[in-house]
Amino acid sequence: MILNALRDSLWLTVKLLLIILPLTISYEFLKERGLFRGTKPFFFVGITRPGLLPLVTGVIIGLTYGAGVIIHAIKEHKLGKREVFLILLFLSVCHAIFEDTLLFVVIGANGLIVVVARLILAAVFTYLAYRSRLFEG
Amino acid sequence: MEIGKPLQRGLTNGLSITFMMVKVIVPCYIAIEIIKHSGLIDIISRACTPFMSIFGLPGEAALCLVAGYIINIYAAIAVLTPLGLPAKDVTVIALMLGICHSLTIETPITKKTGANASLLLLVRIALSLFSGVVLHLLWK
Repeated sequence: MILNALRDSLWLTVKLLLIILPLTISYEFLKERGLFRGTKPFFFVGITRPGLLPLVTGVIIGLTYGAGVIIHAIKEHKLGKREVFLILLFLSVCHAIFEDTLLFVVIGANGLIVVVARLILAAVFTYLAYRSRLFEG
Repeated sequence: MEIGKPLQRGLTNGLSITFMMVKVIVPCYIAIEIIKHSGLIDIISRACTPFMSIFGLPGEAALCLVAGYIINIYAAIAVLTPLGLPAKDVTVIALMLGICHSLTIETPITKKTGANASLLLLVRIALSLFSGVVLHLLWK
C-alpha cells in the first residue's frame, strides 16, 4: 500500500513536470509581450485581468495541475485575498472541465449538461460572493 | 524578443512549482491509501445508501459518490461502470462529482493558495448535493 502511494507520487511528479514546465515557460513569453497587465475588473464576477490567467488555467487543466501556476500567479501579481477567494470559489465548482467531463461521457453521461451547469453555477456563485461581500475570504 | 531569460525564468518557476506541489500531494496519496484500506469508504457509503433516492439514484450509487468525493473520479468511475446505469443517472452523478471530488487532495491544495479552504469545502459539498437534486427534478 505504501508502494502504491510511492508509484502514484512518482507518476504525478512526471506528469506535473510535463504539464507545468511548458505552462510556466509559455507564461514567461506571454508576459514578455505585455499580457496580463491592468487591474480593472474585467467582468462581472470581480476578477481582474491578472487573475484571469490562474482562472483559465484551472478551468482547463484542473486544480491539481493548475494549482502551482495559480499559486505562482497569485504571488507574482499580489492578488488580494478577496480575489484569490473568488478565483478559488469559481475553480472549486468548475475546473478540469474537459478531463472530468469526458471520463463520464465515455460511460453515457450528457457532457453538455455537465459543462454548462458547472460554468453557470460557478459564475453565479462567484458573482453572488462578489456582490454580497458575505465571504471576505 | 529575448529568448534566454524568459526560458530560464519559466524553467526555474516550473521546477519550484512542481517541487512545491509534490510536497503537498505526496502525503495526500499516502492518506488516500490508508483510507482505502481502512473500510471508511464502505462505512460512509452504507450510511448514505438510503438517501440516494433524493437524486433518483439506486442505493449502489452511494459507493460511487463517496469514492469520488474522498478519492477521485477514477475511483468513482471504476465503481460506476459495472452498475450500467441509464444516461440520466450517469449525468446526475457526473455533475455531482464534477463539482465535488478528490477532496483529500484538492482541499490541501486550495489551502495552499491562502483561500478559506474549509469554507470552499462546504460550498462544494452543498452545491454538489443541490445540483444533484435539481438535475434529477428537472430531468423528467
